[in-house]
Amino acid sequence: MAHGSQSDTRKKLLELFAEANGDFISGQKISEILGCSRAAVWKHIEELRKEGFELEAVRRLGYRIVSTPDKVTANEIQLGLKTKTFGHFVHFVEEVDSTQKIALRLAYDGAKEGTLVIAEQQTAGRGRMDRKWFSPKGTGIWMSLILRPPIPPQKAPQLTLLTAVAVCQAIQQVTGLVPDIKWPNDILLNGKKCVGILTELQADPDRVHSVIIGIGVNVNQTIEQFPEDIRTVATSLAMEKGERIKRAHLVQEILLQLERLYHQYLQHGFRPIKLLWEGYAVSIGKKITAHTLNGSIKGTALGITDEGLLMLEDEDKHIHYIHSADIQL
Amino acid sequence: MKIQEIRELIRLIDQSSIDEFVYEQDGTKVHMKKAAAGAPVQAVVAAPPAEPIAKPAAEEAKPQVQAPVQAANVQVETIPQEAPKPKTENTENLHKITSPMVGTFYAAPSPDAPPYVKVGDKVQKDTVVCIIEAMKLFNEIEAEVNGEIVEVLVQNGQLVEYGQPLFLVKPE
Repeated sequence: MAHGSQSDTRKKLLELFAEANGDFISGQKISEILGCSRAAVWKHIEELRKEGFELEAVRRLGYRIVSTPDKVTANEIQLGLKTKTFGHFVHFVEEVDSTQKIALRLAYDGAKEGTLVIAEQQTAGRGRMDRKWFSPKGTGIWMSLILRPPIPPQKAPQLTLLTAVAVCQAIQQVTGLVPDIKWPNDILLNGKKCVGILTELQADPDRVHSVIIGIGVNVNQTIEQFPEDIRTVATSLAMEKGERIKRAHLVQEILLQLERLYHQYLQHGFRPIKLLWEGYAVSIGKKITAHTLNGSIKGTALGITDEGLLMLEDEDKHIHYIHSADIQL
Repeated sequence: MKIQEIRELIRLIDQSSIDEFVYEQDGTKVHMKKAAAGAPVQAVVAAPPAEPIAKPAAEEAKPQVQAPVQAANVQVETIPQEAPKPKTENTENLHKITSPMVGTFYAAPSPDAPPYVKVGDKVQKDTVVCIIEAMKLFNEIEAEVNGEIVEVLVQNGQLVEYGQPLFLVKPE
């Protein structure tokens, strides 16, 4: 496939720098390992500089990476990525209507599990019921990951809860902030939404072809960058943390946690994921309202079932099992 | 409930694959049942008790006896004998689009948008006919056959079961 622009040489070069962990590597060593001339090495280094990498070149010592740009191109994501397969193929686009659409097309064309589509800017990011998701340039993470789980289609919704847990773990790891999950998979900080997850399934009645997990994270937005009408309900990690966060680093951590939980899920089922999910859940034991197309149900959130359904007990002690709804806390 | 409404209901149910139908509102109960393949719809209407508050509980039970009032006659007059019969025969040749999972049925991509398909629409194998959603996982359902949508069996926003038929398609 001719998607993206990552050459193997470039990938190897970044792996070398990642292993060196900020130390110098001699030009001679690089050219030996990459199997190319010193002039070619220099050309690759220049290209990295153009992309915003800060590289120091010192005679006799060689090259070292001083800093990486806050970009989410394949280079930044793969520099230091610790996953086995997730994110090993990255399809980066500067601007796109929706990363989901590209991922759907790639999946249809046979893209492997773990293929990542990521954009600097989405012009038509969307959420549930085609609601718009605000995704301006360079401020957040707008990504879609292709999975091909060997599970029956009716179990696929559990992957949305799994994703919420993975993203929470990643945010916690990178920022130290502890997010809340609102059923099924909204992620909140101080009661305001900072992550939206939307998943699409392609399946036959008995077999999953692909699951496309779309994740939108508000990372470095300032309050002024949100439209006025959502300022009271939306936030970014930077606003909560008080400092900017390197997006590629968070993407790497999300991929790592997702891969780990996903394999755990395929091996042991939903039970262990459920426990983790409940650990982040904000609504359990609280009075909430579930808004559905056919009206609203008020009650106390009891928890989730082993399938992931929300259990809501109304005033008459009747328990409703919720498959889809907007939850109001 | 107006007699025209009951007529309309009988007509709709007669043309559908529904075998039995119960509707209750403000004490009025409409119960329709297709006796057998080819037989016309039978409709039963139970009127609400005239003075429900004044009556003691024991008495109240009695007037609730289902009375095959005018409506039963209406169906005899208005339902053409041949209507249900060809339908029953046809259904067997129709392709059923079923739900691959438990979830909410969405007929349209958003509340304001027109439905993906309606009765009479021609569809291709890969035409999206609806979305099933559970826990914010969306599954676009495709027609699977080339043909024409004959019937939509579920309502927008309805919870559907695994394997539940959603549409009937007359294959080309």
